[in-house]
Amino acid sequence: MNPPLPARWWPTALLALMATLPLPAALSAGGTAYTKRLETSLLAEPAALAATVGKLPAGRPVKIAEVRGAWLRVSDGAAAGWVFGGNLSETQPAAGKGLGSMGLSASATTATAAARPLTPAADDYAARRNLTHARDDLNWLLAQCRAFTPAAVDTYLRAQKKGEYQ
Amino acid sequence: MSPRRLFLLFAAGLATSAFALDLGGLSKALGSADKLKKGLETAKDAAKLVSGLGPEEERSLGDTVALEIIGRFGGLMRDEAAMRRINLIGGSLARYSARPDHPWRFGILDSSTVNAFSAPDGYVFITRGLYQMATDDDQLAAILGHEMAHITGRDALRIIETGEKGSVLMKQVAMRSGNAREAEAYLNQVGLNTEKIVKFLVDKGYSHPTEFTADHNGHALAAVTGYAPGGLRAVLIRLQQIPAGPQQVFSTHPPLTERIQRLAADAEAVPGTTAGRSAEKTGLSATEAVEKPSAPEADDDDRAFAEAAEKKPAKKKR
Repeated sequence: MNPPLPARWWPTALLALMATLPLPAALSAGGTAYTKRLETSLLAEPAALAATVGKLPAGRPVKIAEVRGAWLRVSDGAAAGWVFGGNLSETQPAAGKGLGSMGLSASATTATAAARPLTPAADDYAARRNLTHARDDLNWLLAQCRAFTPAAVDTYLRAQKKGEYQ
Repeated sequence: MSPRRLFLLFAAGLATSAFALDLGGLSKALGSADKLKKGLETAKDAAKLVSGLGPEEERSLGDTVALEIIGRFGGLMRDEAAMRRINLIGGSLARYSARPDHPWRFGILDSSTVNAFSAPDGYVFITRGLYQMATDDDQLAAILGHEMAHITGRDALRIIETGEKGSVLMKQVAMRSGNAREAEAYLNQVGLNTEKIVKFLVDKGYSHPTEFTADHNGHALAAVTGYAPGGLRAVLIRLQQIPAGPQQVFSTHPPLTERIQRLAADAEAVPGTTAGRSAEKTGLSATEAVEKPSAPEADDDDRAFAEAAEKKPAKKKR
């Protein structure tokens, strides 16, 4: 059995481990990234469970001060903190209501939104095109989506050690 | 006839043709004919009609395309465990996608064919054949990531945009030449109906460059989420090794060999990924590290699966 790593090497080992985590190549110190979630937490440490020291809205440009593996220390004016690289975009997300843009209200982003009923237009389309079985299946899918809340996904990420929990 | 009057006539034609053609309910979402015609008083309003599709319209279009895909591929497989698995993997990928707060939905089509599809508004479908082919979460994540990249890349919506640009171009032509009839005929030709969009997605598929871009972006998304970046490549290699049969294997996608080669290049190009870590441990190149652990040789099980997938009747859990 190997002797345990001396405590004084733990920070170095931690940094070495973090350096192996993936990060988009363009997100580097001195560069600019953009928040892409409706609310992005700035953390006190480069760790998923670290304390939140601030929050930024979507589409906000942030300066990258430091990179540690998959984590970036960013700042937006006086606000500064650590963000997982996967929560930032290299390019500014499209704004507005157009297709493909973020274009979402907070109320439209939950699992409830995913579990919404079929749109009346699609319902009508199914009736006209004799797609009633497909409509039933799609309604079943939409109802099933109620279970997959952001909290459920977060629990899964933690259990699987994915994303910021790597 | 003045260019302005001609343009308004053209815009009105656009509105009426939109109703004559089936827009998959889009016309309903856009409002009544009277409202449309009233709104088409100026050229600016006409431009809004064709370029201002927003979230509501995307939802209608997404639902409608999803209905068509489900209808064509034997309905959905109502297996709650499988649904949970793909929605949690897909939800994890979505968290770090370009649309992290969008309500994504993942479903399994009850078909033995090997394919996957995406529809506007966050619908991702994978066939039972392909779902069963993915041997682990890394491979499943790679497949879902590829389809999600089509959505975040707005690939399906570009079909509509192409129509819009074509329409705008034709308006300009009509305004100059005064040939309104020609313009109306063109509009009917490029009508924005759902059937055309579905036919494009399901029968024809995207262009090769679009597919390669989706491979690249899906690969990157899977890697940043923490899935082994060689997942898609492993699936494609496995598909390549299955004897050709009557089943459709990624019939709407580019040749497997070229996709595999490009994904290998991607693996080399992404530093600090799981592939890179594996390469460090094993002394292999990143490409080899991606390929070696999860690229099974074609064996009897593969062949048996391919045959069974065709012979076995769809098992639908209700």
